[in-house]
Amino acid sequence: MTRVVGKGIPYIDARKKATGQAMFADDYKFPNMLYVKFLRSPHPHARIVSIDTSRAEAHPGVRAVAIGRDLPLGFGVLPVSPDETAMAVEKVRYAGEIVAAVAGETEEAALEGVRLVEVRYEPIRAFLEPEDSLTECAPEEQIHEHCKNGTNIHKIASLRFNDPEAALEEAPHVRTLKFRFAGVTHAFTEPMATVATWNEDDGLVVISATQVPHYLHRTLSKILGLPLHRIRVIKPALGGGFGGKSDPFPHELITAHLAMKTGRPVKCRFSREEVFLNNHGRHPTDMTISVGCDDDGKIQALNADIVIDGGAFGSFGVVTTYYNGVLLQGPYRIDRFGFRTRRVYTNKPQCGAMRGHGAVNPRYAMEVTLDVLAHDLRIDPCDLRLGNFLPSNTLTVGQLRITSNGVKDCLLAVRERSDWDRRYGKLPFGRGLGVACGFYISGSALPIIWNRYPQTVVHLKLDFDGGVVVYSGASDIGQGSDTVLAQVVAETLGLPLERVHVKAADTRHTPVDLGSYSSRVTFMVGNAALKAAEKMKAEISRAVAREKKVPEDTIMFTNGRVVSEDGGLDLSWDDGVEIALAGRGALATSGWYISPKLGGDFKGAGAGLSPSYSFGAFISEVEVNPATGHVRVVKVWGAHDCGRALNPKAVEGQIEGCIHMGLGQALSEEMRYNAGHLLNSNFTDYRIPTALDTPEMDITIVESNDPEGPFGAKEAGEGPIHPVLPSIGNAVFDAVGVRMYELPITPDKVLAALKARKNAEQEQVS
Amino acid sequence: MKNDSPREEIAERSYVVVTTVEEAVARARELRGDYQYVAGGTDLEVHRRQELVAEHHVIDLTAIKELHAISIDGEELSIGALVTLDEIISDVVVRERVPLLATAARSVATPVIRKSATVGGNLLVKNRCTFYDQSGSWRSSIGSCLRDNGDICQVVGTDAGCYSRNVSDMAAAFIALGATIVVRDQKGEKRYDLTALYSGDGIRNHNLLENDGIILRVQVPIKPVASWYRKLRLRESLDFTSCTVAAAVDERNYIRVCINGVSMAPVLIEGDLAELSLEELHRRARRSCQTVDNDLLPLKYRREMIHIYLEEWWGSIHVDA
Ligand SMILES: Cc1cc2nc3c(=O)[nH]c(=O)nc-3n(C[C@H](O)[C@H](O)[C@H](O)COP(=O)(O)OP(=O)(O)OC[C@H]3O[C@@H](n4cnc5c(N)ncnc54)[C@H](O)[C@@H]3O)c2cc1C
Ligand code: SF4
Repeated sequence: MTRVVGKGIPYIDARKKATGQAMFADDYKFPNMLYVKFLRSPHPHARIVSIDTSRAEAHPGVRAVAIGRDLPLGFGVLPVSPDETAMAVEKVRYAGEIVAAVAGETEEAALEGVRLVEVRYEPIRAFLEPEDSLTECAPEEQIHEHCKNGTNIHKIASLRFNDPEAALEEAPHVRTLKFRFAGVTHAFTEPMATVATWNEDDGLVVISATQVPHYLHRTLSKILGLPLHRIRVIKPALGGGFGGKSDPFPHELITAHLAMKTGRPVKCRFSREEVFLNNHGRHPTDMTISVGCDDDGKIQALNADIVIDGGAFGSFGVVTTYYNGVLLQGPYRIDRFGFRTRRVYTNKPQCGAMRGHGAVNPRYAMEVTLDVLAHDLRIDPCDLRLGNFLPSNTLTVGQLRITSNGVKDCLLAVRERSDWDRRYGKLPFGRGLGVACGFYISGSALPIIWNRYPQTVVHLKLDFDGGVVVYSGASDIGQGSDTVLAQVVAETLGLPLERVHVKAADTRHTPVDLGSYSSRVTFMVGNAALKAAEKMKAEISRAVAREKKVPEDTIMFTNGRVVSEDGGLDLSWDDGVEIALAGRGALATSGWYISPKLGGDFKGAGAGLSPSYSFGAFISEVEVNPATGHVRVVKVWGAHDCGRALNPKAVEGQIEGCIHMGLGQALSEEMRYNAGHLLNSNFTDYRIPTALDTPEMDITIVESNDPEGPFGAKEAGEGPIHPVLPSIGNAVFDAVGVRMYELPITPDKVLAALKARKNAEQEQVS
Repeated sequence: MKNDSPREEIAERSYVVVTTVEEAVARARELRGDYQYVAGGTDLEVHRRQELVAEHHVIDLTAIKELHAISIDGEELSIGALVTLDEIISDVVVRERVPLLATAARSVATPVIRKSATVGGNLLVKNRCTFYDQSGSWRSSIGSCLRDNGDICQVVGTDAGCYSRNVSDMAAAFIALGATIVVRDQKGEKRYDLTALYSGDGIRNHNLLENDGIILRVQVPIKPVASWYRKLRLRESLDFTSCTVAAAVDERNYIRVCINGVSMAPVLIEGDLAELSLEELHRRARRSCQTVDNDLLPLKYRREMIHIYLEEWWGSIHVDA
């Protein structure tokens, strides 16, 4: 039998990408195309006194200039925080914010035009550290006037169950620890690019490097005042996103605006520096966490107080604010639980969603704290975790519904494969092992914009050529979602993969999908595709049964044939298609996905709800040079429960990607600012681990077969990142006996910690 | 044909590929300073994109065959300025006779960059500073600095001078080995001690090349030395140095330690082993390194690492003691 699900296969667009045939946004060229360049704010916080564009407009190569006043409406990916405008209006809120845009005949002309725009600014006190944004300031200093109590606090999220404070007082062992995390950014390969065309016949067509064509579609309509049906958003081939292309962005709105204004195609492409300034990466975070447990290491309570630095605008920040707390509810049973997260505005490029959204930093804090407790109690850190896991089919304290749960299998797998029991705590000074676990949502159960539609719809079309076309709004951003769709449909119809074609992410031709974020695509779009394929199967079966006089329920689709169980019927797929299409022509079916109703009815109950959760456990081995403080990760054993690996090659790739990305945040990546100016907006100074820094990886895929996932599948793209970082932090402790409470773990911090410990020991001796 | 054509007007911008040193120097004279030589282009091109190159013309040296050779010249190894770092790494003579050079070359940039990056270009890599190696708009947004169009150094806040760091890893190794360079300029060919190339001035980083000088080759004494090399960086590849220490001890126990990446020019400490102590090394390093906070690794740590490396090296040559 042909099986395409469960088989490790290359992506269906791999050849096109490898041979350079795939079209990325920047590959699109149109006759008479203009180029847009941006003037960006040199100040982190300033009032705009005046803008004079006359000299730019007079430049012979310049065709149009736009400023904030031209597109003054507020927007934001979340309807609750429409705090951003396409260009700065009245004031600038970070160094790098777009103040004006110039469309020119060439990129050089546009740049020359940008230099001719004259802006006078009046600087305002800049808020660069989150603690400064927590307190009241003069009204004219506030970054956004909607912040309450004269502060720069954007959002406070807090949930409390069963009096965690009291539980912490009662618990025999409590650790309260402070952590600090630098901001990191996605660092995807392909810089942003957008091409827009406008004419009365087609309306506005925007080809953009986006993870979420749907939100861009809606935002373009709002900001440009165009009806939705006059707008078409196309997502071309994409060179990565990791959350960094999931908001509607100013440059997309401005490019579209200038295309309409000039009646000519307009292209925008970012430099790498602009990509960094656009940011929307992981929030810098300060947090205090208290965890209490009994003598056996059973967790009694958790309480966390978190401040996240959102930068100048909202982005996904309200969700991030909740995720920082609610995603501490697993993978351990914690019945007395509380957190407060405050998201503040600062005058820096905004933060938003990034792989593992909202849960990466608190997971580090939690897993390190558990390690400290295990050490206090002289319990093996693996054993302590095994004694606390949530079971399958349960509710967490905040009523997140857990269905399948393979976390125990994950931990047992890495424990065995790393030879943990023989080696943990026993390696020579400078070598160490660390363990950590994690869990993550498989798609957010609630849409960002409340509406009555399904979260995704998939259409299938079958025509005389015997090919099945899958129409889906899902955005393949390099993670392979087109391949998953093709696999699900091919598997259901018993077809080889080449019979299935995917037409995706073109809002005029494909039904709505909410986008590639929150690890939702395989689960939700996969389910919709499965439904649509089953309907198609049923239609073909019905027609064949009628014509061939066989009972409908004995018909099977396998190996590209339509057969009956008893072998009496054996048709080629093409013959089956001809029967099904006779007298009616092309066949179309549709499937959709709507999350089941989940969660409690308290305020904030919707945060973190997902139809299913992935789980994982990782062990890292490190080598620490005690003379220099350098940490090298030697090997990582990762086990992830993705329900069912529809394409094990892709799942492995995602886990490896998570290890690499987690390694970067753990050891070397960091957005560095000087007085609000980003210091390292390039890949020389923003230090993504190189191939030489990347450890050996040992990957185990655990399949817990989720009852609601398509063929049992859950997510694999984000969940594997969470345990990576704390497993490294914990391994450093095993190696040299110092705890790292601050990321990234750069050698200067390790050396300082080693010295501090030595001094403390000497003091004790004397 | 060529003789018939009227004298070529010098275009506003030009890029010429020359095939001989003479042609390069002649072309340079015509352009009266408004040019840059280019070899691998891996440093120059980055600067051009950051709007740090004011010159309008480029003279491409890569087709000058004679500058591509590695040869043994008596007691010396002669390395042409256009030899790439990749060639240094794979050259058998270099690996066997002066392994320090291969080690240093392997620590530069990335394998892909090293296929273009040349020895000459590396010796002349521009000094670096966090506040300078940025785009034009970035630099103007902070009000520029002394080395650019500004009035003060953004690191120390005064107009006393520029503390940009020399980051040439090859320079550290070559200097530790006592290398000399041969320069050809309008006045002819001359040989200098490599240390003379470095001015110690953060703005005008290099000496010796004022008269359209071209580095032709580097000459390294071939004699047995015990060598040692460390480069401080976060990643195993790609990073510029935050502190490089290259050291060599010859048969007569004469030591040459070169520290780079922490001051405006490579810092050389040399002397007879018998007359030096670790304390003396520390003292000289402290006196010579003008390290300021212009790298992404913290200043305190970088200063500390100079001494940690010195100590480590000192320990390595005293294992028998
Ligand atoms: C990502 C990245 C990482 C890097 N990492 C390192 C590193 O770790 N260590 C390091 O030392 N460098 C590093 N570099 C800088 C650079 O790649 C190397 O120094 C390289 O060896 C420069 O050689 P080149 O031939 O490319 O120089 P070019 O860019 O061609 O030239 C550099 C300068 O030297 C002049 N020049 C070149 N050849 C001659 C000659 N024969 N005579 C006179 N003038 C000449 C040019 O006019 C120019 O001013 C890095 C660069 C990048 C982009
Ligand atoms: S050290 Fe000072 S003057 Fe020199 S480049 Fe840096 S900021 Fe400019």
